[in-house]
Amino acid sequence: MGNIREDLIVFGVKAENAEEAIRAVGANLIKGGYVKDSYLPAVIEREAEYPTGLQLRTIGVAMPHTAGVHVNMPAICVAKLEKPVEFGHMGDPDTKVQAELLFMMAIKNPDEQLDMLKKVMSVFTNDEAVEKLSAAASQDALYEAAKAYIG
Amino acid sequence: MKNVKILCVCGSGTVSSAMVANKLKEKLAKHGYSVNAVEASPTSVESSLSAGGFSLIACVSPVYKDYGIPKVNAVGMLTGLAEKQVIDDCLKILDAQ
Repeated sequence: MGNIREDLIVFGVKAENAEEAIRAVGANLIKGGYVKDSYLPAVIEREAEYPTGLQLRTIGVAMPHTAGVHVNMPAICVAKLEKPVEFGHMGDPDTKVQAELLFMMAIKNPDEQLDMLKKVMSVFTNDEAVEKLSAAASQDALYEAAKAYIG
Repeated sequence: MKNVKILCVCGSGTVSSAMVANKLKEKLAKHGYSVNAVEASPTSVESSLSAGGFSLIACVSPVYKDYGIPKVNAVGMLTGLAEKQVIDDCLKILDAQ
C-alpha cells in the first residue's frame, strides 16, 4: 500500500485562513476513518502554538499534523489551495508563509512511517517536485504528481 | 565512528524532529559521527536533557531557553535550503567537543 491514496488528494480548497484550510482538508481524513474526532481540534491547537509553515525556494507550504493518540491509520492528505493562505513559519512564528500546498499528516508512529516522512521531506527539497505539484491543474494531475514523488 | 547524542526538538516532538533526526544521522555519518537522536517537544526538552550526554540540540521549532548545550537551527534542513549550513553548524560544535 503506497503513501498516497486517491481519496486523500484535494484540489482547489477554498479557505480564508489557516484554520479553515485545516478543517477543509482534515475533513477527508475524518471521512476516510483515518483519524478520530479529536484530530482536528488537536491539529488546529498545535498549529496555533507551533506553526508548520515552510518557505521553500519557490512557494510556501504547510504541513499541519499531530501524532499518536488522535490517529487510527497513518495517512497523508495532499491539498492544493485555491489561493495562498497565511500560515506561521515553523522556525519563527513571527514570520508568515503564504502556503499554496498543504501536506496534512496523520502519524501513528513516526518510526514506522519514516518512509512517508522521508518522501515528504524529499519533496520539500526537490524544486522539480514542488513545481509539478504547484502546477497541477486538476485533481488527477495532483494525484499523479503526489504519487510520483511521495509514492 | 564517534558516538554523539543529539536532541531534536519540534512542536509535536515527533514528526518534524523525526525527519530532521533521520537526515542528521545520514549526513553526519559521512563525517564520522554515529548519531543517537532523541526527539522532544519544546515542553519536554528539560526532562529529555536530564538523561545527560547530549552534544547539541537541533531545533526545528524555536527553543528559547538556554540549557547550557549548543543549539542549531535545523529548519533549513527540512526545506533543503540551508542543509549544508545546518551540517556545518553541527560539525563546528561536534568537532570542538
